[in-house]
Formats: sequence, C-alpha cells, structure tokens
Amino acid sequence: MENGEGSSSLSRRQLLRMIGAAAGGSAMYQAMSTLGFAAESPYQGPIDLQGAPRGASVVILGAGMAGMTAAYELRNAGYQVQVLEYNARAGGRNWTLRGGDRYTELGGHTQQCEFDKDLYINPGPWRIPYHHHGMMHYTKLLGIPLEPFFQVNYNAYLHSSSAFGGKPQRFREVKADYQGHVAELLAKATRQNSLDASVTKEDQEMLLESLRRWGALDSNYTYVSSDASSERRGYEKNPGGGLSARPIPSKPIALHDILDSGLWSGVANGDTLHMQTALFQPAGGMGRIGEAFGKELGPLVRYNAKVTDIHQDDRGVTVTFTDVRSPAAPQTTRADWCLCTIPLPILAQISMNVGQDMASAISAVPYAAALKAGLQFKRRFWEEDEKIYGGITYTDLPIMNIGYPNSGFQSGGKGVLLGAYIWGLKAMEFTAMTPPERVQKVVDYGSQIHPQYHKEFENGVAVAWHRAPFALGCFGMWTSATRAKHYDNLCQIDGRIALAGEHASFIGGWQEGAVTSALDAIGRLHQRAVAQGETA
Amino acid sequence: MRNAALGPALGAALLFIGVWSADADSPLFTSRSTLSSLNGEQIYDHICQGCHMPGGLGAAGAGVYPKLAANKKFGSWAFVALTVLDGRSGMPPFGIPAGGGTDSGPAHLSDAQIAAVVNYVRSHFGNAYKADVTAAQVSALPHPAAELIGPQ
Repeated sequence: MENGEGSSSLSRRQLLRMIGAAAGGSAMYQAMSTLGFAAESPYQGPIDLQGAPRGASVVILGAGMAGMTAAYELRNAGYQVQVLEYNARAGGRNWTLRGGDRYTELGGHTQQCEFDKDLYINPGPWRIPYHHHGMMHYTKLLGIPLEPFFQVNYNAYLHSSSAFGGKPQRFREVKADYQGHVAELLAKATRQNSLDASVTKEDQEMLLESLRRWGALDSNYTYVSSDASSERRGYEKNPGGGLSARPIPSKPIALHDILDSGLWSGVANGDTLHMQTALFQPAGGMGRIGEAFGKELGPLVRYNAKVTDIHQDDRGVTVTFTDVRSPAAPQTTRADWCLCTIPLPILAQISMNVGQDMASAISAVPYAAALKAGLQFKRRFWEEDEKIYGGITYTDLPIMNIGYPNSGFQSGGKGVLLGAYIWGLKAMEFTAMTPPERVQKVVDYGSQIHPQYHKEFENGVAVAWHRAPFALGCFGMWTSATRAKHYDNLCQIDGRIALAGEHASFIGGWQEGAVTSALDAIGRLHQRAVAQGETA
Repeated sequence: MRNAALGPALGAALLFIGVWSADADSPLFTSRSTLSSLNGEQIYDHICQGCHMPGGLGAAGAGVYPKLAANKKFGSWAFVALTVLDGRSGMPPFGIPAGGGTDSGPAHLSDAQIAAVVNYVRSHFGNAYKADVTAAQVSALPHPAAELIGPQ
C-alpha cells in the first residue's frame, strides 16, 4: 500500500493541513451552515394565496420545479398564468433520459439514448430526502409513486485505487472496523483514566458499556475477530442451517490500514441531514415529476420559447422571446408580474431593467460543474455476482460514484448503472471531452471496481451540466461572502419582477430549494398584487 | 482538547473532500497536485474548452458561452485575467487561494498558470496579441476569497 507522500495522492500532512485550514475558528462548519447544507426545509404546508385581484396576471419564465410550482399555485389562486420554457419538455433539471431519447448539448454533440424499455438515468436530481416537505407534498399531489432510494448500502464499496491493492472494500467492513477500533481506543483511554474530570466515575462505566455495544468489543473491551465483530462486518463463512452450518468469524482490517487508506472518509456519507434515511425516488425516473407537472399545467406552458428581453414599466412586464424553431420572428407577451426562474448564467445575459443590486447579484453566482453517466449492461452483475442491491459505491477514481439502480431487483434482464457522478475539477475535464470519450473513460475506470464492465457493457450516455443548453451549469455556488453581499438582493422583488429557483435558496442544488424559493417569492408577489388591488 | 474543536469541521470535511483522491494512473486527468504542472494550452484543453469549446468557438443555447476566437475584448489582458481569476456571470473563479478548494470544488490555478492560459488564448484562435503577461502582473489583480463549496 502506498503512503500518500507522492505527488499523486494526498499526504496525511496535506490532509491535516486542509482540515486545519478549514477549521480555523470552525470556519468551515460555519460556511456549510451558511451554504444551507445543514438546514432543513422551511416548507410549512400548502401556500394560502387568498384574495387575488380579479384579472391579475403573472408571466413565469422557466418550467422547472420552481416555475411549475409557482404556476400551479398562482393558477389555483385565480391568477392568469403563462409559462415560457426554452426546452420542448417540462421539468428543467428535473429530467430523466430513457431509451429513444435524444439530447444535443452545447457544441453540437447529439447523444441517442439506447437503453432498453423501462431503463433510465436521471442526469440531474436523483433523490428526495423525506424532510424535503415541499417535494414530498407535490409528488403526492401529482400522484407520483415513490420508491425507496438507498443512500447507504452496507454491501456496496468504498474504493481507493492506492489502498488494499486497488481492491474495493465493503462499506460494512470499513464502517464496522473503523468504529470498532475507535471504540477500543476510547475504552482504553477511559480505563486508564485519561479522560480525567470530563467524565465522572459513574459515566465512565456507562461509557465503557456503550463503547462495547457501539464498537462490538469483546469482554476485555478489545475489537478482535469474534462473533460479535462478525455480526457487524460479516463472517468469513456465514452461519447457516444443517451440518454445514457452523460460522467462521472474519478478521478485522487493522486500524492503521483503515486510516492509511483514507476509506474512513466515506463512513459518514449517509449521516448528513440530506442523506439520512428515508430517501425516495419517483418510480420510472425523477423526470416523472416534471412530466406530471407539465401535464397538469397543460396549455399554460409555451415550449421552445427562448427569452431575449424582460422589460418592466410601472404597469406590468413585457417579455420578448423567440420560438427556437423559427428564431427570426421575436414575439412578446405581457403580464402584471413576472416570476423569473431562469438559471443565473443565462439570466445574466438577458437584457432586463432591474436595479443594480439585483443585476449585480445575478452576475455574482458561479455555477458548479457536474457530470453524470448512465451505462447499460447485459445483465445486473452487481446483483448477481456481488449482491449489491441499490445504493452507492464511492471511489477516488475520477468517476467518484457508482450508483446502483434502486428498483427492478432480480429482474433478470439488463440494467442501467449510474456509472459516474462527478463534480469539481474532474467534472470540468470530463465536460471537455466528447460524449463517446466520456462514456469510454467511465467504463474504463469503472472496470477497476467491477471487472465485469468490459464484457457486459452495451451503451451509455454522459451529461455534462455546463454543456446543458438550458442551464449552463449544474447549480449556483454561494459563499458566505457572496451570500452576505448578494443573496437578499437576489431574492428581493424588484418592481414587478421576482426571481426563484435553487439559486435563490439555502438548499442549493436541491429541488426543495427551487420549490421553497418559488413559494416564498409568489407569497410576496401576491402581497404586492393584493396591496395594489385591481389591475389596470 | 484540540480534536474536539476539530470535530464539526472534520465531520463537514468528509462530505466535501475527496480525501483519498489519487488517480495518478491516468495522464488524462489532473488532480489538484498535478494541475499545477499544466501549461496554458493544457489548461485550455482540460478545463476551458468544456464551455468555450475546441478552437475557442463558444456555443449558444438559452444563453451563450462567449467565442474566444478573434475576440476584440482580448485587447485588454487584464479583462481576460480577471475573468479567469474571479469568474464572470456564472463562470467559476479559478483564482481562489491554493488549498482553499478541493477536487470536488472549484479548481485553483496559480498566478503563473493564469498568466499562461491568458497568454495562450490571446495568442491563439485568431487572436494575435503578444504572449507577455507575467505572473507578477496577475498577482497584482484582486483575487477571490477561499471557500469550500460542496456537491449534492
């Protein structure tokens, strides 16, 4: 096993320096809270928009989760609503690619999805935590069947290309051994009275007992090969029935090897608020929500409409757009109010007469790079050979994640994996390749974890979010500095224009951010509309 | 106890830092450590062309990625350098301090590399400006602050 002093991997010293730098005054945790990653959804039940002025109208730009949530509620409240959408479909980043779908990215590469019937990939959002109450509300309202999403699968892998000879390790084993060794160390410190005054004598006894239970320690408070530890990490030979029944305990991985491998960093992946059980996925793909919303709104949504200009005066808002199929002839529409959910990199390029505060905010939010690849295989070898049913494998390879389908278990036929979910620098590099090159690289890397890849692979698609013509990026990245300077200005109503979307939320990158920002914005627009009374 | 103070930050770090990132096996992919060895052309090919496209041709959808080829704004080297440093209208910043980002966050380019990629785009794709921007000139420009930004 390599130690990380080489140029290729992160050394222990580098790691500690990074953590130390980030931890200056708990700066990082503070930053995370500011970014909203630790915040639960503020959704408080269906919105009440009583007393809409008769004839009042709203034009909504974008038929993603934010735009359609707003359109649905405003329509029901009595507003005249129209939605302009750039794509030929509803949903925006709520999107599923299925067999037969075609997708052309910026730069002109077209991918034909060749998956079999009922197989799909969600290029964008793929999971809904149970406490995203707004998303849960609308999926129920729209009659979308939900399936469990396995964020944590104890039999999936944690993988480091430079540890354990590149052999992936079962999450179950790494978690049990990390926890067991830590419990043993803490038990030792407790028994040596190293914890001094911070733990009372009575608490020490309780602590020891809890460590034995938590870490699967033996009667001497050590973590060793035993029935107790094997009940956590799995047996060398599992218990069964009959004459061949006798189990053989397995041997834990040494503490040093766990620490040196870095695999410990994957142990807490399911512990963060947005990853805690239960999570859900719509049956048939995340895009089912956008599709159902689009159907519900029907003719209110005008598709293929590319917004080129947004102009407000003291009586209303005029939006100029072109039909992308006949761009030569600009058209206009007008309403009393405008809710704009267009992603900021695009909106920053659209002429719109708002104040400098909002204009500066629109230009201040960089969008994250991200890439997802879907791979179809001839058989579900991850289930058949490796007994992995749903969940996620984490790796230090550039593919970063492998997501196993959370439905269709043991169906016998073909299957589609999320072959890669990549962000940051590596996503940028994948984005710079052609789609076939991306898929090839994803297959090559994935085969280091699943050797079956090359034999079983059939076809794949790879969506790079910076090349999505309708988004120009995956989601808005805020910092505590840009939040302080621009966030309120982004969310404030400017005259007759309000913005909404995940970018106008503290749950960035999640659909719940889009839904709650839309409800917040239309609540405030409604107040203004009511205050102004009947429209002209 | 020092470790106790680190607790929340460490827990937070787990989600965001590809702690065991290595990928030394691939010459195609950079890690944060190999990124620093890329020259201007390599930086363009690995990173910039994802949006600005091969040949600096740009692209247009609901919005556009500006064409870098024969770009009149490139007369101002500082405009180009500031764009790479700070980002612009959705473009990520590349001038965040070293160590302020992770493999899963925005990429960091040194002042010398920003000078190199600025020189590259200003002297290619039909642009014929002198490739004479120095790291010292880039250093004198305002840089964005460090902050970790995580994936979903």
